[in-house]
Amino acid sequence: MEPFTHNDGNRDELIIQQKRDIEKEISDTTPLISEQLPLTCLYAEYSGDEIFTAKIQDLSKKYKFIRRTRPDGNCFFRAFAYSYLEYLISNSSAYQEFKKLAEESKEKLVQLGFPSFTLEDFHETFMEVIQRVSPDNAGGHSAVQDELHKIFNEQGYSDYVVVYLRLITSGKLQEEADFYQNFIEGDLTIEAFRHLEVEPMYKESDHIHIIALCTALGAGVRVEYLDRGEGGTVKAHDFPEGSEPRIYLIYRPGHYDILYPN
Amino acid sequence: MSTPARRRLMRDFKRLQEDPPTGVSGAPTDNNIMIWNAVIFGPHDTPFEDGTFKLTIEFTEEYPNKPPTVRFVSKVFHPNVYADGGICLDILQNRWSPTYDVSAILTSIQSLLSDPNPNSPANSTAAQLYKENRREYEKRVKACVEQSFID
Repeated sequence: MEPFTHNDGNRDELIIQQKRDIEKEISDTTPLISEQLPLTCLYAEYSGDEIFTAKIQDLSKKYKFIRRTRPDGNCFFRAFAYSYLEYLISNSSAYQEFKKLAEESKEKLVQLGFPSFTLEDFHETFMEVIQRVSPDNAGGHSAVQDELHKIFNEQGYSDYVVVYLRLITSGKLQEEADFYQNFIEGDLTIEAFRHLEVEPMYKESDHIHIIALCTALGAGVRVEYLDRGEGGTVKAHDFPEGSEPRIYLIYRPGHYDILYPN
Repeated sequence: MSTPARRRLMRDFKRLQEDPPTGVSGAPTDNNIMIWNAVIFGPHDTPFEDGTFKLTIEFTEEYPNKPPTVRFVSKVFHPNVYADGGICLDILQNRWSPTYDVSAILTSIQSLLSDPNPNSPANSTAAQLYKENRREYEKRVKACVEQSFID
């Protein structure tokens, strides 16, 4: 008898390969973060659709521009990081405060049990990015803004920022596991959820990710929901509830982009 | 050319040399840091004891954001190892975290040898024997341990 039984070929690897092909197609056609575009560009995507057209009209009373992110499952984290840093480069004292928090975050994650050797790699890159977009850097605001845009479209840097935010999110879930357990459907433990849905790259974000990240960094986010729901107006939700938003995002089922208020 | 993946692999290699975990070893091939050879020694008090199992680890430029492809080169009779040496292990698939390094990968595979998961079989004969006929399972494993000396 043949000592090894082949089980329909190596299915896991076939599935992984297929996923990689789709991802490559997306990455070849969409930048990680786009230029600022007029909000009205959304009309073209929903032409002939009354519900969406009415809602975009409503949204355009409050927002002038949108910045698109690549739909790779990391869009929430990438949009969050870009938008928050954009706010921080024009707010020196908030920038300094965030820099200090970011500096100290590594030690906190090590205490929560993250492996310090690999954490260090992500943290160093994260701090380098923060340093490169300091409001005090030479060239002034527009040079720093250009630098931010450049960094976020360099896959290596951009993805390391996403990884580090995922780790901060995962750390927060662990730190307040009793609270966040309430948000998890089914019988997944927080531990399993962190390893399946938070730490791996390309996994989409849900409310629980948003709440944990905003809370960990003390950064308010307003999300505008553009969907098929009734009412003709776009519904907004602030995270954490009652906070002053610094980051504005638009959510369309499955995807986040950045918004710019009037 | 230094890329995040290559820089990180140099770090992984340095750590593996300075702080080697028991029973595993690994190093990049001579001319390509993206392809590594590794060895896992069969854990004590398991039928794999005394075996020296060779593996290859192939990284892409997306490491550590994506896991490498890890494959046994030596024949391994185990419920979670495919006939071609591919390994069915959650941390190499849907539970991958960028915080894992080569050292963590190799020690996880080493513990998979001790604790197979027969409910997610890559080798259904091995899984069945593991569940229903442990003596025969151990006999088959020992045969591949002996084979591993010759390879």
